Amino acid sequence: MRRRTMLTGTAAATAGAIAAPGGAEAFVTEGKRRTLVFSGGQPVPVLDPHVKYDYSTRLMQQSIYDALLKYIDNPPKIIPWLAKSWDVSKDGLTYTFHLVENAKFHNGDPLDAEAVRFSYVRGLKLNKGIAWMLKAHLDPAGIKVVDPHTVAMTLKEPFPGFISFVPWWFIVNPKQVMAEAKNNDDGQGFLIAHEAGSGPFKINRWDPQAAMVLDAVPDYWRGWEDGDANRPSGIIFQVIREPAPRREALLHGSVDIITDMSPDDYDSLAKVKGIRVPDEPGMAPFTVMFNCAWGPTADVNLRRAIAWAMDYNALIAIENGHARLMDSPFPPAMQDHIAVPGIPRKDLAKAKAFLAKTQYAKGGLTLDYLYVAGLEVERQVGLTILAALEPLGIKVNVQGVPWPTVMARGTQPKGGPAMIAVYVTPVSTDPDVVASQYASSAAGSYWGMHHLHDPTLDKMIAEARIELDQTKRAAMYAEIQKRIVSLQPAIFGMLENRRWAMKDDVEGFVFCPIRLTGEVDLYPMWIKA
Amino acid sequence: MKAMLRDPSALLGAMLVGLFLLLCLLGPWIAPYPADATGAIHFVIKLKPPSAAHWFGTDEMGDDIFSRVVIGARTSLWVGLSITGIAVALGAPLGILAGFLGGRAQTAIMRATDVFLCVPGLVLALAIVAALGPGLAHGVWALAAVWWPGYVRLLESKALALREAVFVEAARASGASTFRVLLRHVAPNCVGPLIVKASMDMGFAILAAASLGFIGLGARPPAPEWGAMMAVARNYMPNWWWYSLAPGAFVFATVLGFNLLGDGLATWLDPREHR
Amino acid sequence: MIRFLLRRLAFLLLSLAGLVAITFVISHVAPADPAALAAGPDATASMIATIRHQYGLDRPLPLQFLRYVGDLARLQLGHSIATGHAVTADLAVYLPATLELVLLAMGFAIVMGVTLGILAAVRREGLVDHFARIFAVGGIAVPAFWIALILQLLFSVYWRLLPIGGQLPVAIAPPRPITGMVILDALLREQPAVASTALVHALLPAFVLSLPCLASILRITRQEMIEVLQAHYVRTARAQGIAPTRVVTRLALRNAMVPILSMIGLRFGFMLGTTVLVETVFDWPGLGLYAVTSATSADFAPVMGATLAIGVLFMLATLVVDLLYAVADPRIRVS
Repeated sequence: MRRRTMLTGTAAATAGAIAAPGGAEAFVTEGKRRTLVFSGGQPVPVLDPHVKYDYSTRLMQQSIYDALLKYIDNPPKIIPWLAKSWDVSKDGLTYTFHLVENAKFHNGDPLDAEAVRFSYVRGLKLNKGIAWMLKAHLDPAGIKVVDPHTVAMTLKEPFPGFISFVPWWFIVNPKQVMAEAKNNDDGQGFLIAHEAGSGPFKINRWDPQAAMVLDAVPDYWRGWEDGDANRPSGIIFQVIREPAPRREALLHGSVDIITDMSPDDYDSLAKVKGIRVPDEPGMAPFTVMFNCAWGPTADVNLRRAIAWAMDYNALIAIENGHARLMDSPFPPAMQDHIAVPGIPRKDLAKAKAFLAKTQYAKGGLTLDYLYVAGLEVERQVGLTILAALEPLGIKVNVQGVPWPTVMARGTQPKGGPAMIAVYVTPVSTDPDVVASQYASSAAGSYWGMHHLHDPTLDKMIAEARIELDQTKRAAMYAEIQKRIVSLQPAIFGMLENRRWAMKDDVEGFVFCPIRLTGEVDLYPMWIKA
Repeated sequence: MKAMLRDPSALLGAMLVGLFLLLCLLGPWIAPYPADATGAIHFVIKLKPPSAAHWFGTDEMGDDIFSRVVIGARTSLWVGLSITGIAVALGAPLGILAGFLGGRAQTAIMRATDVFLCVPGLVLALAIVAALGPGLAHGVWALAAVWWPGYVRLLESKALALREAVFVEAARASGASTFRVLLRHVAPNCVGPLIVKASMDMGFAILAAASLGFIGLGARPPAPEWGAMMAVARNYMPNWWWYSLAPGAFVFATVLGFNLLGDGLATWLDPREHR
Repeated sequence: MIRFLLRRLAFLLLSLAGLVAITFVISHVAPADPAALAAGPDATASMIATIRHQYGLDRPLPLQFLRYVGDLARLQLGHSIATGHAVTADLAVYLPATLELVLLAMGFAIVMGVTLGILAAVRREGLVDHFARIFAVGGIAVPAFWIALILQLLFSVYWRLLPIGGQLPVAIAPPRPITGMVILDALLREQPAVASTALVHALLPAFVLSLPCLASILRITRQEMIEVLQAHYVRTARAQGIAPTRVVTRLALRNAMVPILSMIGLRFGFMLGTTVLVETVFDWPGLGLYAVTSATSADFAPVMGATLAIGVLFMLATLVVDLLYAVADPRIRVS
């Protein structure tokens, strides 16, 4: 008997496994509701919302946790979430958030003002992940519980950009976290692979390197976007590291939506029947930072020569046309963005004129171009620069290295590489988030690898940051954009479009450019039965 | 020599190696678009399938894959020679010394060798390159570092056997210095096995370097190194399959060639042990 | 015998210790800031410093080494900076996956290699023999990463017969771990459907992994068998009318066993090395993939941990082969 069951079982499973690539693996769980399967190449090693974020991590954090406010839509707007409303004091210093009354954590604990205070203090204290966004403006002591549904935060100085960061500060359950804390780690060990959230999904199975299976919370405090009938039974984030298998998984129907594909792959997938490829303008500038403090590129004229020699059309060609050139250091979706007049475009005569003003009039030098190994677009841009600078007699040493090496070599001005490929996704629509990347204070961070030190610019940025009058602020940022371009700390490259490939029966997809490349908000999404 | 020519597999090996050397010698003249190996860009014709103009198709920069693999042969030759060369230069003298001297010197040398042999070569090389940073030169050093112990092992046993050989005993008895005995009597008798192993290793070293390249720790762009080409090409599987096909096939043919040649040499040099 | 084994064991451990020192030195002179990896792209200098301090990366190198060795003695291999996970815990997950793949590949290589080798030797110059000889040279020379991609293209993309990668489809929950090897655990937990699905996923990677090993075993089996079959006593046995199958299996194979065993021992290490490539292509969550992903992000503790783990596996395999040797060939016990 035992043997017989075993045999039939095996036969059935073999048939299933072999059929699986061809047929659809449906995840029918609760009646007509389906599970939505998302696949990318990047795992989620640390789920803790106060320790780390990148696209894959935040995709999971946004599904499991809630914040006071939330970004949706294009252009991005901030909507009330855990906070049903907020007021700002006249001096622009104190923000008071009024919380919804019915929010609760997955374990049933109510989500109250104390949980909000605890989470913000934890984020500031750990000094990791999201801490940089607020730590210059907010002290733990400035966060006060007014009553169980009201919390007030008092800033150190006026900072109009404050609200734009709030959607990224997720609220954790203090009771759960502190119960699991060990050796004063504030629950960091626990939250790596467990959750203490209140969001629309909760963990069912967590294998961060392969598959993260989440179940929908049926009585989610906020309800479901398209009604309870039109929600998924759960979501799965499947890590498939190689693009070829990821693509196959989508074509076979075992996955509903994929990201992390090459421009060519997206183009070919867009032609497949039953699959659509949303193609939306992104807001993550791709720039090539110069080392402005050391070596040949410390000479602004050499930087300008390179910027004018750059083949900008090639940048668009690398993306198969799914990109726009930058017309300012700020992406277009940013507040107060202007198109800076006279931003460099390919003009060899101009490039040579600038080169003539340097000590390398005849060229004859070799510059390093560093990029993060494995990033195809960055590698191709390196080859484009190599070809573009040939007429100037400049050789380029294209080097792909791991991210930590980029950081180690790029954050030291002395001996640092001349050029580094840099993608930065602004996490806020406040212009300060981009402007301050070009201030001296950015030194030591990824986006500060230009080592630009311009006191005038620093002063302009510091003043614009705290200006409360919107008209004045816009004018100030216009000047800042012009000043940055004239200093040429980088080749201002392009903004690639955001693309995903998904099956036609995926409903509720909403594009929001403020999210990281590849990230989607899974909450409103579901699959038509 | 004639015996070798009568052995079809050795002949095939010699032919493949000959072809490989020919590519190394005449690469830039054989390749229809030599500039494509040094970073030319033609986005208009990127990722085109094989055609009369581009026998192996074009890659993501619009470069001719045929030209790149042909010119890449030189890189592979250089890589194979360097790794094997360093390994022989380091391993052979140590092995002969260990075997011939015996005693403490032997123990010391063999223990040091064992440290490098206790982990599979590719894994140790991976760890070393990871630390040094990606790059072809680093790969060569890392692979040489895991390759030399093989030669110590090989020649230690050979020298050990020779130490007791009659003609060596005779030379010693007639008052020749150790150095002289080593140079005149022991070393020449080690040349045979050394050549056989080196010939085989040329192929395996090229394969190992390509493997490192495939992982993404190989040559810097735009160098047309076969492994590094594969590393990029696999991102374009399966739609642009021809991209992966050519570089891998060239690695295969080259390794096969050196392998068969080494086999043939072994049979030729010592017909008793191999058949 | 036991003394011989103990001495070998002690001695291999010593080699491994040397290896630790070497890997530590190389990995710490490298110009990389692993803390930046954990801190993320938007981190400020002070945030990176926080993490550097947390992992003790701001201490002098000799102190870091002492700490590493001290941890090693307690079987702690440090933490991955990228993920914050303990390397020992990671290894406990990845090592069984690799072991499962390697054992499958090794089993396949031995069975196929010995069978084909015998058939080729018995029917020399026959069809099997020609095929075997081509296979024996081709299998060693073929780049694993290349043949893996080609097989994926054929079996998974064009013919859609086998899954393209991974260990299990996402819809199937892996069995609760006993050994950590999915196929074995599924069988132990009486989930035959899961076991067979997992096996189907392992087919392509195990086959690619087995190729060089299969080729070498085939070659050496054929060579030894031809030699033994021509030996005097075998010819005598045949002349005495003992059934040919019996001659082959009992007499000839037994005598060819020692060289085959030593080849298996040698190839085991090589196979472990090749997992680095095969697991990358097939997205197999084992030690090889772990080593590669860590190495390409300059996350050193996992690289060293994986290197050590593979070293220990290799060492154990060598010991097992030594033991089998002694059983197969009594003469070795003496020396």
